[in-house]
Amino acid sequence: MTPDRPRPVLDALSRAYWEAAGRGELAIQRCEECGHYQHPPRPLCERCTSSDLAYPAVSGRGVVHSFTTNHQRNVAGFERAVPYVNLIVELEEQAELYLLSDLPAGEADWVAIGAPVEVAFEPIEAAEGEAIALPQFRPAGG
Amino acid sequence: MWAGRGKTAVAGIGFSQLTRTHERPLGQLAIEACRAAIADAGIEPSQIDGLATHPDQPFRGAGNRAGEDLVPAAFLIDHLDIGPEVEWYAQVSAGLIPSAIIEALNALMAGACTYALVWRAMHRPAGTYGAWREPFAGGDSQFTAPYGYTSPFQLHAVAYQRYMHRYGATREEMASLVTNSRANAQLNEAAFFNGTPMSVDDYLAARMISEPICLFDCDIPVEGCAALVLTTAERARDLPRPPAYVAAWGQHTAARPTYVNYMLDDYMACGASTAGKLWSRSGLGPGDVDAAQLYDGFSPSTYYWLEAAGFCPEGEAHAFVQDGRVALGGELPVNTFGGSLSEGRLHGMGHIAEAARQVSGRAGPRQVEGAEVSIALDGSPLLRGAGLLFTREA
Ligand SMILES: [Zn+2]
Repeated sequence: MTPDRPRPVLDALSRAYWEAAGRGELAIQRCEECGHYQHPPRPLCERCTSSDLAYPAVSGRGVVHSFTTNHQRNVAGFERAVPYVNLIVELEEQAELYLLSDLPAGEADWVAIGAPVEVAFEPIEAAEGEAIALPQFRPAGG
Repeated sequence: MWAGRGKTAVAGIGFSQLTRTHERPLGQLAIEACRAAIADAGIEPSQIDGLATHPDQPFRGAGNRAGEDLVPAAFLIDHLDIGPEVEWYAQVSAGLIPSAIIEALNALMAGACTYALVWRAMHRPAGTYGAWREPFAGGDSQFTAPYGYTSPFQLHAVAYQRYMHRYGATREEMASLVTNSRANAQLNEAAFFNGTPMSVDDYLAARMISEPICLFDCDIPVEGCAALVLTTAERARDLPRPPAYVAAWGQHTAARPTYVNYMLDDYMACGASTAGKLWSRSGLGPGDVDAAQLYDGFSPSTYYWLEAAGFCPEGEAHAFVQDGRVALGGELPVNTFGGSLSEGRLHGMGHIAEAARQVSGRAGPRQVEGAEVSIALDGSPLLRGAGLLFTREA
């Protein structure tokens, strides 16, 4: 069952990320000074404190760092989606650069730590009604 | 070595009743615990001249009204018959209860107060604990809530999944740790699960919450309060109870990751930093500890603390907790009071109270014979780790 997802409230730091996703691009905040990627986006570079930050597109490829299968009806909108799996995906651009993903437990046979994944985009609405997309991760080449 | 070693002490300990549901205002329970701690210290309420707490409840919306579901310093100033001379208090707004205790210890050493009362009052809201109910997600939660990922147990599940994968740990091994805590709770009359034993089969049959975290890997949320009276070592020596001297405190505040990027390695880094400060300040090491009270808001946290503090090598805690090694009478008794898993969720205050009891010889039927050193490590180590090391001698 497709969940009724909480809708993102876009802000000055996150808008570029969500708008890129809406165009089918995964764009991650990166420091123009030192090249450090960070997600969630931050007001300053967490490595060198530079405020020169951009949102370049990344490959969308990564591996499953970890995962969990959720059984608790704990999130409004996800009651009928239980059981569902959350993936923690580590992007290939940088160690410890993580994004989330989810999928129904019935479609998660392939999920394992280290499994290669690639991004896909699920259309959603932002809190203010704008059409954006939620980055999701599926088996690479699948 | 830290100049403050042995300069302060726990002089009194008090608990309220720990209940599963909100039957009485939390403020009443807090007053009950504070009065018990003051009486235990053998002093008059009017002698309390310092207050410290971390009043926050663990998730947004859980604590709203002072005295009903939240107990800030102002509530005790107004409702506890302490002297009119309370001019020092601290209310830490982030972190854990050890952060408030650290404030109080520093105030005692600076002479800002003479008897400090520290309490932790926990509210257990009705309904599903910590459920996400909002249609919109702002701030960092905009990157997690749309995926149905909002709860601490999910964060712990992915770290524990990674731990099990990396080190080959099993649920059967975890059953040893969890049932050991439950057995210890049978020797602690204040524990919520006193009178409710648990077998390995009970643990293995528990329903899954967020795999591999099952129901019994989660602590038991309670309504209640625990309180301590702290004072200087000099004063503590003249009181009726044997003091628990503070040999060191340690805290790690550097990394503040979010739900998106807080993984197993972060737990270990934070834990090692916290424990390392305790060892270097006290001049003691893991081999000196007679009883370890290691936070278990979720059971895998105890593994991380065992490893990060150096009680066993990294990756080996799941094996270390077998064969009665962490049981009373074992090589390193762990969570001798039952832990948060079996005593109740007091966010680390139960661990600190037990560490103090063990070194002052006041742990009753679960006393570790001749305990000279006991440690309390709080946090998961999550967002902030903090700990205290107590000794029998100053
Ligand atoms: Zn930078």
